[in-house]
Amino acid sequence: MVTFEFLDWLWIVLFVLVMVGSGILFYRLGKRSESDFFLAGRGLPWWLPASSVYATHTATDTPMWVTGVIYRYGFAGIWYTFFSAWCAISAFVSTRIFRRSLAYTQAEWNTLRFGGLGAEMLRGWISGWQVFMNMFILGWVGMAMGKVCNYIFGWDLWVGLILFSSVCAIYVLAAGYWGVIMADFQQGIIAFAVIIIVSGWGIAAAGGPGEIVSKLGDMGLSEKLNPFAFSGWFTGDFPIAWFITMMFIAILGGFGMGTSIDWYAEAQRIQSAKTVRDASYSIWWGTALVLIRNSVWAIAVLAFFVLFPNISNASEYELGWFRLGFDYLPAGMVGFFFAAIIAIHISTISTHLNLGAMYFTHDLYLHYFKPKATEKELVWVGRVATFVLLIGSFFYGLMMEEITSWLIFALWLMAAGIWLPNILQVVWWRFNAWGYLSSWIANLGLSWLVVWILPHFGIIPSLPDYQQFWLLMLLGALIYLPVTFFTKPEDMNHLVKYYVMSRPIGWWKPVRKEAERLGLLHELEKISLKGV
Amino acid sequence: MAFIRRDWDPVHADEWTKEDWIAIVLSPLAYIFLSIGTGLSILLLPIGFITFSIGIVLTILMHYVIDPKLKMISSEYEKRQREYLEELERKVRWEKKNG
Repeated sequence: MVTFEFLDWLWIVLFVLVMVGSGILFYRLGKRSESDFFLAGRGLPWWLPASSVYATHTATDTPMWVTGVIYRYGFAGIWYTFFSAWCAISAFVSTRIFRRSLAYTQAEWNTLRFGGLGAEMLRGWISGWQVFMNMFILGWVGMAMGKVCNYIFGWDLWVGLILFSSVCAIYVLAAGYWGVIMADFQQGIIAFAVIIIVSGWGIAAAGGPGEIVSKLGDMGLSEKLNPFAFSGWFTGDFPIAWFITMMFIAILGGFGMGTSIDWYAEAQRIQSAKTVRDASYSIWWGTALVLIRNSVWAIAVLAFFVLFPNISNASEYELGWFRLGFDYLPAGMVGFFFAAIIAIHISTISTHLNLGAMYFTHDLYLHYFKPKATEKELVWVGRVATFVLLIGSFFYGLMMEEITSWLIFALWLMAAGIWLPNILQVVWWRFNAWGYLSSWIANLGLSWLVVWILPHFGIIPSLPDYQQFWLLMLLGALIYLPVTFFTKPEDMNHLVKYYVMSRPIGWWKPVRKEAERLGLLHELEKISLKGV
Repeated sequence: MAFIRRDWDPVHADEWTKEDWIAIVLSPLAYIFLSIGTGLSILLLPIGFITFSIGIVLTILMHYVIDPKLKMISSEYEKRQREYLEELERKVRWEKKNG
């Protein structure tokens, strides 16, 4: 339990009022249209979505997770946090292609890239899965806040879960994405400032940077400062083979769409940027801030390690960065720290409330149920969906302890075998909806086999996760590549339309030739040149 | 003609060129150097300051290479996007999308 003074409570009350108030201020903009409620009218300068990328990916459970890997592996644990580096290439490849498509969501993009029944099946699947995933993330992150409040105030877990998600929902319901983005901007600034202050305070408490280096040396643990301190090529719990796999997945994933679970939230930020250039820079700089923040956290965690080197219980040392704040900040600043934790928390909650509601409203309600819905109606459907997601997240959060391992498996299930298909759909004209759909279905069965069933019967050994990735990628390809070649290519007119709109990178020669034959590229060049 | 092209017209900016590939290579390197450099600089290690400086140089270089092209793509494409769509719709008789 942490004791709060009057000044601490004042910080918290003021912050919540400013945050909710600033969100509600944009009520009039948010209600104008579906485009405003979900994409802020597609008119934002790069630094607004960039701050939202940063704020969204600074969740309540992030410092716990970063602390866990750094405390265990030292500074080399930073590579665990490097999965967001997919934005390095994405900023200049898939971000550009997606922004030019004008799709609201990834599910809609599937119907621009593919055609016919397969595309519709993909759209239905991706949108339904995204509604579920956002509700799951809301429950997961909400429960992390419940744990933080339990640690600070001794509250029951459900209090922290329900209280702060509900506060956040006020401005998301009122102003939609306008409220999300404006609140994210101020939350991002507050969160970044407090991460620097608390980390600096923690480093000072450990005696300063020089003391951390020398104490680790005295303990015989200087390798904890080495970012490349691996346990061997294939041996130990932190091998180089894992590192190479991680870099491969993270960096080359930027050529595709959906190679990271974060893509779906970033896709909304990409489409809300006013130009292709703004979209690219929002993704690049938002992620750069995330990576720099992770490094600041890492050194603060090393300070915590020097102060408390012998904690073996993961759930105890994972709270290390929070402990630096609550144990070492002076009275009056603790409330400011908690206000920042609220900022960190609700910036993530607001994004997933609005994102899940967008998939429901645009891809399910508008596309399948009521294509002629008015803009006013769509805004209201968006609000109802937001509310349903909020309530659903409470149930998920409260069930979370029992289902966590299943859901982590489900996330893994959704990622490994479709990593390459997510790239192929962007870079290869011949990859069709049936190939992509079959990769999802194949992965569903193969991941069970590789992760649980085959090792259980001793047919294959229990493999480390990076080896599972390569095996799933290979086995999946043995299914979706034949399916692709044995089914017809997408309709050429459909592909030409997509190509001229999006100008994708990769193997698109037959489509380009057809576009040139139709005179479309030539015509477009003339249109472009008229404007010079 | 200079190795890095900085003067773009709308037609050529739409193509994937070596400037894109240079940005694609520089960008992850910048992330790696900035990540490691930040942490080791906070520990006041000389290698940290060197690494961080390399990260900044790579970031500046990346922007120098790609920014003129992105500006041209944005100014032309965004301005003409609706016009493009209407023109394409007429030519290949695309189906109307909902919404």
